[in-house]
Amino acid sequence: MATSLLLDFKMPEANSNGMILAKDEENDAEVRREDQDKINEFGQLNARLHEVRGETSKLKSLLEKLDDASTELMMGNGDAVMLRLGDALFEASEEEATEFCEAEVERYQAKLDAFDREETDIQERMAALKKILYGRFGKSINLEEK
Amino acid sequence: MSTDPDAAVSNISLESITDGKNARGIPHAKFVDDIESFANSFNPPASSELLIGAYSDLFSKFKAYEQQLSQKRANYEEKLPEIEKSIKLVRHLKKKKDEGESIITRYNLADTIYAKAEVDCSQGIVNLWLGANVMLEYTYDEALELLTSKESLAKKEFAEVTEDLTFTRNQIITSEVNISRIYNWDVRRKRSNAASN
Repeated sequence: MATSLLLDFKMPEANSNGMILAKDEENDAEVRREDQDKINEFGQLNARLHEVRGETSKLKSLLEKLDDASTELMMGNGDAVMLRLGDALFEASEEEATEFCEAEVERYQAKLDAFDREETDIQERMAALKKILYGRFGKSINLEEK
Repeated sequence: MSTDPDAAVSNISLESITDGKNARGIPHAKFVDDIESFANSFNPPASSELLIGAYSDLFSKFKAYEQQLSQKRANYEEKLPEIEKSIKLVRHLKKKKDEGESIITRYNLADTIYAKAEVDCSQGIVNLWLGANVMLEYTYDEALELLTSKESLAKKEFAEVTEDLTFTRNQIITSEVNISRIYNWDVRRKRSNAASN
């Protein structure tokens, strides 16, 4: 998954968008190694954030499907159902299928919770980095998503 | 070293703008602390165009590498669920065997046709597709062992590719920032030269 980086380090005269910064908007702060490390970390976190969001939406749709399946099972009249494993369908009793769905839901929900926690952590760290980097470079740096 | 300004182009080697390599041989873009003294470390002192050119080349190389790695990573992202699917299936077969039941299945006969079959699980045998037109017979436990070892290997490789991708992206950002900084340095230098003249 290629997530484009949103870092756009503006040059004082003209940045990559061809925008020219006013003289008083220029910021002469030198980029120190620690600043570079923070910029890199920010880029990394942003890429990861996109990944996590992608995974989260995949898991959510999976969970929805499982939820639909469970509902159907509950409404069924107890007949045997077909369970899809891999590319083949298997006959299974209603009870078995319900059990299967529950186990799957539990597994995916745990994954989803972990991703949700990660997303919150990433956002917190990104906000902190933004504060530091904007504080140091002002308008010479652009950390916003286009 | 030659003092011919044109010869300076060849002076900027990959080694002078990179700083070692990671575990899998991806170069580490050098972070320049002080551009002025960095430019002067070349003989003759490197011009901003030359330095920007060198870092742009490096940048494009990293970009190409990033593409390659993303592709590789996507392949693993596809492969892993496939293995997981197989494991799930074998586990199901094994469970049925332990319960002493047979399985009634609909299997894919052709693209749009499913056929019904009864699988006798008491044999405890499953065939695994190994690729290259080879299929081998395994007992359930052997099959699970093979599949889980395949899975953990794929997971390990996936983690490595992810690590390399992160590393490469860092190098891309570092190169980008270096280019901007060299440009800024040049602008400031020209401005102060103009002021003193």
